[in-house]
Amino acid sequence: MTQQAALPVGAMPRPERRREVVPRDERWLGLAFAAPVVLLMAALVFVPLGLTLWDSLHRVDPMRPGTPFIGLQHYIDLMSDTNVRQAWLNTVAYVIIAVVLETLGGLGAALLLQRIRVGRRWLLAAVILPWALPPVVNAIVWMWIYNPSYGLLDGALLRFGLISAPRVWFNYRATALFLVSLVHVWRMMPLTAVILLAALQSVPRELYEAAKLDGAGPVQAFMHVTLPLIAGGLAIALSQSTVFAFNLFDEAWILGGSSLDTRTVVAQVYMSAFQNLHFSYGMALSVLVMVASCLVSLVYVMRVYRETRYG
Amino acid sequence: MRAAALTRRFGLWLATGALLLWSLGPIYWAVATSLTAPTDLVAQPPHFLPPRVTFEHYGKLLGATSSYLGTDIQSVWPQFSRALVNSLVVSTLATVATVALAAFGSYAFVRLRFPGRNLLFVLIVGTLAVPAYTVMIPLYRLLVCLHLIDTYLGITLIYVSAFLPLALWLMRSVYQSLPLSLEEAARLDGAGRTYTLLFIVLPIAAPGLIASAILTFLSAWGQFMIPLVFSPTLATKPLTVLIPEFVTKNYVDYGLMNAAGVLAILPPIAVVLFLNRYLVQGLMAGSGK
Repeated sequence: MTQQAALPVGAMPRPERRREVVPRDERWLGLAFAAPVVLLMAALVFVPLGLTLWDSLHRVDPMRPGTPFIGLQHYIDLMSDTNVRQAWLNTVAYVIIAVVLETLGGLGAALLLQRIRVGRRWLLAAVILPWALPPVVNAIVWMWIYNPSYGLLDGALLRFGLISAPRVWFNYRATALFLVSLVHVWRMMPLTAVILLAALQSVPRELYEAAKLDGAGPVQAFMHVTLPLIAGGLAIALSQSTVFAFNLFDEAWILGGSSLDTRTVVAQVYMSAFQNLHFSYGMALSVLVMVASCLVSLVYVMRVYRETRYG
Repeated sequence: MRAAALTRRFGLWLATGALLLWSLGPIYWAVATSLTAPTDLVAQPPHFLPPRVTFEHYGKLLGATSSYLGTDIQSVWPQFSRALVNSLVVSTLATVATVALAAFGSYAFVRLRFPGRNLLFVLIVGTLAVPAYTVMIPLYRLLVCLHLIDTYLGITLIYVSAFLPLALWLMRSVYQSLPLSLEEAARLDGAGRTYTLLFIVLPIAAPGLIASAILTFLSAWGQFMIPLVFSPTLATKPLTVLIPEFVTKNYVDYGLMNAAGVLAILPPIAVVLFLNRYLVQGLMAGSGK
């Protein structure tokens, strides 16, 4: 859900073509092995998901009696809620900054890793490391780096004469959004790098040699050989980074708290439901976030299909 | 030509250095901060190396009592140890349960034919697109009814439901890559299906199981939002929820927080250092082929 390393793309199980009688013991064993998984997912994901959809059409509020049906009222209220609108804008900013930086940085790291021969395994381990750490701890480490009085960032900027006095970066919305995104990029860029490295390694070496014989320089070879052949991996990486940035909570919550300047839509869901106890209002917003995040990643998935069909 | 090769080599070294600085720099800074005395922390410009190495922040976390500016104060060891145990217990339980369920479940979805298996598989893996917060509010009310809030069982169940789809997806690609002939040979020798799975298939699928276990463990270890809601007290509160609470209203003890952070990242660092081969395989397989 929020922390998954990956989102599956395509590749549905193919139905068995040949029709033969399935032995009864195989059927029962299959059901027995799958039953715990199915029951658990039904109880803890499918039923709650249904309840979320259903309750978002009602007024469920522990502070007020009854749960009357109110139709789409919550969804209508969400449209005119200025806090919610601000949270959406923040999330869009996070997504744009994170996707751009992760893709460029991840591609750079992948190209570099592919060229390194000696010690590649250890360099890869170092690159992956930030991804493996708890986001909360990352945020705390970076919070100290960003500290206006004693932090590394201001210290370095002062030393190189880029600023003349320490600045409280989180007082300005634009820099606050950027610095929160940077922590997220630090954690998620490794995933993009690993996906793109896998894609790069699947490009046949002969193609580069052929391009060289045809007189292509490194830039041309990259544009006409590498890029089209890693398009699938690139789409997966893009959709991953988008979904994760869309669901950003931990870093923004630790660094910015409930501040409206850095609040994400997920933080808004959390605050509506668990701080202000407007359960069903939070649910309605969570449904919108889920739909938006699915739609955006669907755009990339469609691209993958098109690329693989014509590519 | 040789000059060009030298420039290229220099460029590679420079890029590698920059990448290492970006990836490891913040971790170095956390370690350095955790070893710096409080009086040296409030210096501008900051010290790149601790002027005097001190273990007092770790002492505050791990000692019975500690002194701060000459006065004895209560150390945070009781809370810290409790949260450390909670993190370890919940992450381990979630990992074991997820991998076990995925090992059997995925085998059924790949190799055993039973009614509805394709539909069920697509539906379950499709929940990867359902973010945790969308189901969190009904789950909260459900767990309150069942008296499972703030219990190991409750948190573990939620973690398993969150991490199982990815583990199933990963194990599916592992099972699909194994040759059928092996299982057929075992069957011809008279081995039952369960025996074949346990003693023939699972041992060869071990790298895949390890990869799923690593991904699940790291996700559970770093989880913040789920325990923020479902672990309100120290009965089950993990490190990720406890550490940010060290920020008090008017004073942030960065030395203490960085020391706690360094201890909290030791298990993931160990995983990346010693198991990175499996981790990379898992990441590549998990990100769809």
